[in-house]
Amino acid sequence: MSIDARNHDDAEQMGGGSDGDDDSRSRIGRWAKDWMEHPEKAYAVMGVFMGGVLLTTSLFPLYWLFVVAMAPPGQTNISLIPAEIDLTAFVDIFVQVPFARFMFNSLFYAFSVTAIVLLIGSLAGYAFGRLDFRGKTPLLFSLLVLSFFPPATLFLPLFRAFNQQIPLLGIFTLPAEIYGTPGAVVAPLSAFTMPLAIFILTTFYGQIPDGLEDAARVEGTTRIGALFRVIMPLSAPGIATAGILTFITVYTEFFFSFLMTGDSAAEWAPVVNGVLAFQTQYTTRYDLQAAASLVAIVPVAILVVFAQEKIISGLTQGALKE
Amino acid sequence: MSEQAYAYLLLAPGFLVLLLFAFWPLASAIRTSFFADIITGSGRLGEFAGVTNYVQLLTNTNALAPAPFLDPSFQIPVLQQALFMTLLFAVLSVAGETLLGFLYAMLMQGDYAGRKLVRLLIILPWAIPIVIQGMIFFLMFRPGYGLLTEPLQQLGIFSSLPLNTTFDGFVIVTVADIWKTSAFMGLLILAGLESVNQDLYEVADVMGASRWQRFRYITFPLVFPVLMVAMLFRTMGALRVYGIIEATSVGCTTVPSMSCLVVELMFGSASLYGSAAAASVLIAIVVGLFISVYLLFIRRSSQSLGFA
Repeated sequence: MSIDARNHDDAEQMGGGSDGDDDSRSRIGRWAKDWMEHPEKAYAVMGVFMGGVLLTTSLFPLYWLFVVAMAPPGQTNISLIPAEIDLTAFVDIFVQVPFARFMFNSLFYAFSVTAIVLLIGSLAGYAFGRLDFRGKTPLLFSLLVLSFFPPATLFLPLFRAFNQQIPLLGIFTLPAEIYGTPGAVVAPLSAFTMPLAIFILTTFYGQIPDGLEDAARVEGTTRIGALFRVIMPLSAPGIATAGILTFITVYTEFFFSFLMTGDSAAEWAPVVNGVLAFQTQYTTRYDLQAAASLVAIVPVAILVVFAQEKIISGLTQGALKE
Repeated sequence: MSEQAYAYLLLAPGFLVLLLFAFWPLASAIRTSFFADIITGSGRLGEFAGVTNYVQLLTNTNALAPAPFLDPSFQIPVLQQALFMTLLFAVLSVAGETLLGFLYAMLMQGDYAGRKLVRLLIILPWAIPIVIQGMIFFLMFRPGYGLLTEPLQQLGIFSSLPLNTTFDGFVIVTVADIWKTSAFMGLLILAGLESVNQDLYEVADVMGASRWQRFRYITFPLVFPVLMVAMLFRTMGALRVYGIIEATSVGCTTVPSMSCLVVELMFGSASLYGSAAAASVLIAIVVGLFISVYLLFIRRSSQSLGFA
């Protein structure tokens, strides 16, 4: 034990606890002694303290949003504690703009891209994970390279193709105005999120023992049947991980969602435009923007509540074992 | 059907989608970058111009390019501004996210009552749409409205219009990014922590290792490869930063990133498609350089640990 600690012991004995000040000092001394003898306790206290600080930093911005949503319209210099709990903003957002439709559009994008990516990505992941074929490495490598390019690079040609300025693939001009339909967002985002999903699924499918698939084949299942009835159920954690990552990526995405759609809900604009819709040329209702933001977080918050164990176990089990 | 043919059949739908909406636009962007800009007409391309667009971007001689983003008195070419901003942003945000991510991962790992709640609260910011993340920080720093504007101004750290000042805007964007994506970093690091063989810690305990030694000699080296992969992902994201700059309404004129440059060239006063494409290819080259450095690092570190 250090000299300091011994001094503390002495101080505690000499203090004798005659008045309040001494009493508190001796209590601190006792804590110090206790912690030095049992460092785990000190670590535990430090851990709780640090945890508190971290959680505050991660939650404070959301609390601030709530405070702003409570404030009456036009108020400036908002204080940290709302003067009154006034939830009318949460109703107004659905009255002033079709916010429900904006949210539906965003969720529609997220669900359709996830479904497309999981279905098509599963087939590719199965081929990469369980089959031998020529060109496997170059194809996997092309996926890797693709996922390194910024959305800005891919955006320009797609934007022009969707507006009939140039033909897609240089061969066929897209028929009607695709810009302003869900396809203009769903198609590029599917392509953009596909490589990571394929990587995750490849790892999971590769881990399943061959024997199980062979057994299913002996039972008379077709190859494709074995994929859907044996391989996919066994890789449920991997599919969940890939699905959740894709869903969250699409729901939170900004670049394509913002630039590939019009501004109104009827033109399939997502939450991005919904939140910005409260900004008109003359006034901006910050309280409504804050309320709308909180409402838009609800779907992903629910997803995280139910899926957090899946996300963590999925990543641990295989996504990173490359 | 042979295994080979079956494999190609399964790959076909995926690669068809990728061909149409990823490989083709990529090739088209590269091709476009070699054609001259035309400002009259419906934004079509001019004649084949070789590397003119690149030369003009690199030497800042494109008269139609957007006016200098930053204070014109700086006399710094647009591309250099964008490159400098983006690299600084990438370094600072990834460093901050790694540090905070490690703390988050350790907080998520322990086995204690209320762990589920803690995990939820940590992960939540990551799942929040970028536009809302921007809204939060916009509302915090809007002059006369936001809670943090005045105190920071009185301390002399921020100006009175933080969202329109380059230094302040840069800090806001960086903090906003760290706030949102540290959780993702934390998740990946947690995956690394959980895959560490727990027996090693028991051995360390028997040998009387301190907490720091356990971290220094067991946790860190074993988590290092995963950490590199996580940093690789985040660096790629940071180099492409655009959304948060727009969403906080700091805007591309205050904090010009490389992606900003593309969007400004494309949607700015003139639709300079050739130059925009050239700028986006330059981004891809910068990202590619970073990726190669990381991959080299990852390969070397896994070799020194004795893996394949």
